[in-house]
Amino acid sequence: MISALLLLAGAAPFPISHSPFPVQDTTRGKAVYVKWCAGCHGDGGAGDGVAAAHMLPRPRNFTGAIYKIRTTASGQLPTDADLMRAIDEGLPGSAMPAWKGRLSDAERRDVVAYIKTFSSFFADTSQHVAALKFSGEPSGATGATALKTGRQFYDSIGCRKCHGDQGRGDGPSARTLKDDAGFPIFAADLHQSWRFRGGGSAVEIYHRLRTGLDGTPMPSFSDLIDQKFLTDEQLWRLAQYVRSLSPPEPPEVRDVIHAPQIVGPTPVSPDDSTWARVGRYWFPLVGQVVRKGRWFAPAVTGVWVQGVHDGRTLALRVSWDDRTQSPDSAWLPFEQRVLETVAGDDSGPPKAEPWPDQLAVQFPRRLPESPAGMERPYFLMGSETDPVYQWRWTSSPRKSLAGLARGIDRFDTLPGAVAAQASFDHGEWRLVFTRALATPDTANEVQLAAGRAIPVAFFGWDGSSGEHGSRMAVSTWYFLALDRPTPPGVFISPVLAMLVTLGLGLVVVRRAQRRATARAGRQR
Amino acid sequence: MRKLGAVAATGVVLLVLALAGWMRAPLPAAQGGATISGKVKFTGAKPTMPKIDMTEEPKCKAKYTAAPPTDEAVVVNANGTLANVFVYVKAGLPEGYKAPAPAGPVTLDQDGCRYHPHVLGILVGQQLAIKNSDGILHNIKAKGTKNRPFNISQPTVMTSDRTFTAPEVMVPLECNVHGWMHAWLGVLPHPFFAVSGSDGSFTIKGLPPGTYTVEAWQEKYGTQTATVTVAGSETKTADFTFAAK
Amino acid sequence: MTAAPAVRRYAAHPFWQAVGILVLAYIVVVWVVPLLPGSAIVPKSVVLQYMVTVLVGLLIYVSDNEERWARFKEPIEAVLVEPRLRVARAALLVVVTVLVGLIAYGQVATTVAAPPNLRSIHPAPPTEITFRGKSITLTGLENPLRAHPESLPLYLAEGKGVYYRNCLPCHGDHLDGQGHFASGFNPLPANFQDNGTIAQLTESFVFWRVAKGGPGLPREGTPWNSAMPQWEDFLTEREIWSVILFLYDQTGWKPRRWETEPGKGESGKGKGDD
Repeated sequence: MISALLLLAGAAPFPISHSPFPVQDTTRGKAVYVKWCAGCHGDGGAGDGVAAAHMLPRPRNFTGAIYKIRTTASGQLPTDADLMRAIDEGLPGSAMPAWKGRLSDAERRDVVAYIKTFSSFFADTSQHVAALKFSGEPSGATGATALKTGRQFYDSIGCRKCHGDQGRGDGPSARTLKDDAGFPIFAADLHQSWRFRGGGSAVEIYHRLRTGLDGTPMPSFSDLIDQKFLTDEQLWRLAQYVRSLSPPEPPEVRDVIHAPQIVGPTPVSPDDSTWARVGRYWFPLVGQVVRKGRWFAPAVTGVWVQGVHDGRTLALRVSWDDRTQSPDSAWLPFEQRVLETVAGDDSGPPKAEPWPDQLAVQFPRRLPESPAGMERPYFLMGSETDPVYQWRWTSSPRKSLAGLARGIDRFDTLPGAVAAQASFDHGEWRLVFTRALATPDTANEVQLAAGRAIPVAFFGWDGSSGEHGSRMAVSTWYFLALDRPTPPGVFISPVLAMLVTLGLGLVVVRRAQRRATARAGRQR
Repeated sequence: MRKLGAVAATGVVLLVLALAGWMRAPLPAAQGGATISGKVKFTGAKPTMPKIDMTEEPKCKAKYTAAPPTDEAVVVNANGTLANVFVYVKAGLPEGYKAPAPAGPVTLDQDGCRYHPHVLGILVGQQLAIKNSDGILHNIKAKGTKNRPFNISQPTVMTSDRTFTAPEVMVPLECNVHGWMHAWLGVLPHPFFAVSGSDGSFTIKGLPPGTYTVEAWQEKYGTQTATVTVAGSETKTADFTFAAK
Repeated sequence: MTAAPAVRRYAAHPFWQAVGILVLAYIVVVWVVPLLPGSAIVPKSVVLQYMVTVLVGLLIYVSDNEERWARFKEPIEAVLVEPRLRVARAALLVVVTVLVGLIAYGQVATTVAAPPNLRSIHPAPPTEITFRGKSITLTGLENPLRAHPESLPLYLAEGKGVYYRNCLPCHGDHLDGQGHFASGFNPLPANFQDNGTIAQLTESFVFWRVAKGGPGLPREGTPWNSAMPQWEDFLTEREIWSVILFLYDQTGWKPRRWETEPGKGESGKGKGDD
């Protein structure tokens, strides 16, 4: 009897569920998976669905049970809550959407159970799965001392090797990085926390530092705390420093760039102090997936735009993050790997070439007669019959041109030029175009009238990611407004309204008081 | 009579317990006296390994005063043999054979932005001491498929210990800060493995009598196998030859 | 201990009750409602409407009873009359005046806004299109693949492949127009899950929109803004019909049939572009 018990106890123990979810149905999970997940992750979970070839980063391969976003130590399996979180919130900066609200709670729970069946590791009861014990965030996150400490460790533990001196993913090792499947992988641009796969808060950054991102070159820093090389608080300071590199909130996309009027002359240099006083506007750029020669992995994820004018000249400053000052021959092997990873419309991967970085700003040739007129040329570089007026800048040879685009593959230079000055600083291009508001060629060159909504669009190319021609990042139409200084006449009616209000108020008070006095008199 | 019964019952229980224990225990790691040794030969033109540019890491670069470091994917010795070939008993031991892990660790050193050794073996459960002698940032990443992966940051002189749970030939190890740094780790449930040295020779000692499939693994040229039968304390020779590709 | 009677006195006073209800209503509308499952942040104009409604309700309630109305007015009159509240009186006058000034300034100050984007979501389709040189009559046209029910699984699998290789970046994994490139475009890609898009349309209409894309839209459809490619450059006729099958199958909508809705104009309401 005892021996039988002992034998039983020694036999394979019952599978211990690490799951916080009581009921999970892998059969139903499979149905959900096949319908909603297999298109990218593949029927067998190997991350090789039909859409995968167009993606960078590629969809997760579930067969190895290696997950980036976990709360467990490096190399450990994720908890069910970790998997659920990735499904619920999605992975920003990748093609993985947030499924919370799209699939029911039960469906998401079931699909977690099904995903785990792709790897035998999840059935292996000897696997230790436990979330790390994370400390709470220490206060003083944005204090100068905290950030200074964070920066100190950013340097001393070598973050800059991949993420670069200013954190834009341009460190010396960045161009050699591969993920576990051998695909090229970008060191994260720490200035765009809204694109962090595991979330952009200091807490989430701290968690990633503790756990590492398995399957990627990003290691875990937990050993450093265990071995007292770094205190937990210092790691927090590092997370807070990284957080401080991005804006406090994800940039909001606004339709109209307001370019205030300043006392001239307008700044021509991208590093002129004027720019620190002018509001900046964020415009997201996405892959050119409309015309043949599509590009599914745009490197320029967006541009920051600022404008000022002095009544005669417009200065438009466009800045964007780019890991490389292309062409950079050291990045050619990386570029080749990107081109081989991301399928397009070509029959085979194009050959990596030392392409320059490029930026284009697009306007219609003419503004509509009426300010309310909305007709414009085709947003994607116009058409044969209705061209657009563009400024084009290239990093090498360093030059800027103005001309007419008639579709994505035809650009005719105009004699009238646009001046441009650019500087490249630690993974950021800052470029200023300047042009007279009015030009002689009114037929082809947009006349930049103040007080009008001028349609404008942006296009960006990163040469070292293989971007050239139709392989580019595009925006839709937005608007540029050259603001006029507020005329003094505008103040007349508010002042009048205030006087009337004040007068009425005084009358009301006076009447109430008179009534009260009368009442008091009667009572007496 | 009652006493006798109690004794008998106790005896039966003990016997069953012992039997159960025996059935559950791993097979005894029988040490024998036989030896397999040999040389890993190389034919064909000696490949030129690319030079490694360590300009990014002056501290490492300074350690190579005689000649610039080269890639270690193929290391041809002076006598025309191959170093860094992992030779191990692939089959022939009893099913489920599992030797206890030795107490001492196997050390992998990061020195001069290279791994020392470049190829190594370890037993399941044995500790791998990963040492950073350079004092600059390395990350050590294990990319096994039968073992869980790991990726640890080592920005200073320090040692991290890890163990492996399943036999796997080979677990690739790499540093992503220095894309040229690669090492290969053979994880086995038994101690019958060796790595060919600077004269191309290897020796596997202590084998119990039997017929074994011995495999030689080379990073670039793949694997070769030989079948060797040993008895008692004899020494048999098994040579391998890899040809240039 | 001494605060309690004062609190009770305020809580029993109709004026402070009204103030409390207003504050509570504001908190609920602005912060609590967005927390409810399936709801979103309440737009400012709607918040204003709610608050006005609450205020009117309160006024009706307090003025319903003579005594309550008198008590309600007490604090207001006190501020206007009482000598000891002179500072509060002056502050009230200044605050109201400044507020009016600011609102008036906001009304007259000119700021350039984006021109109105008037767009017909489902413009009338042509009766006939030329697809890669072949003339196709749209009126009365049904999805020809539905004539082969035995092959539907095959067509659906093909359509799924076409969708994931081509449509996914904009229309998204959930077919709700929220693909990872969607945010870069205006108008936003069509949300097929919404009951105002494919659920309202015949498959021939969808075929036209897929085949001819943004550039094929009439002027009222703002063809210059739509990022919808002209898929006839990429896909065959059969691929387009099969991806249309997939759209309906995956979302569970049924296409409108010509038999039931003969030749009707397709100007329904809905979100997003085609």
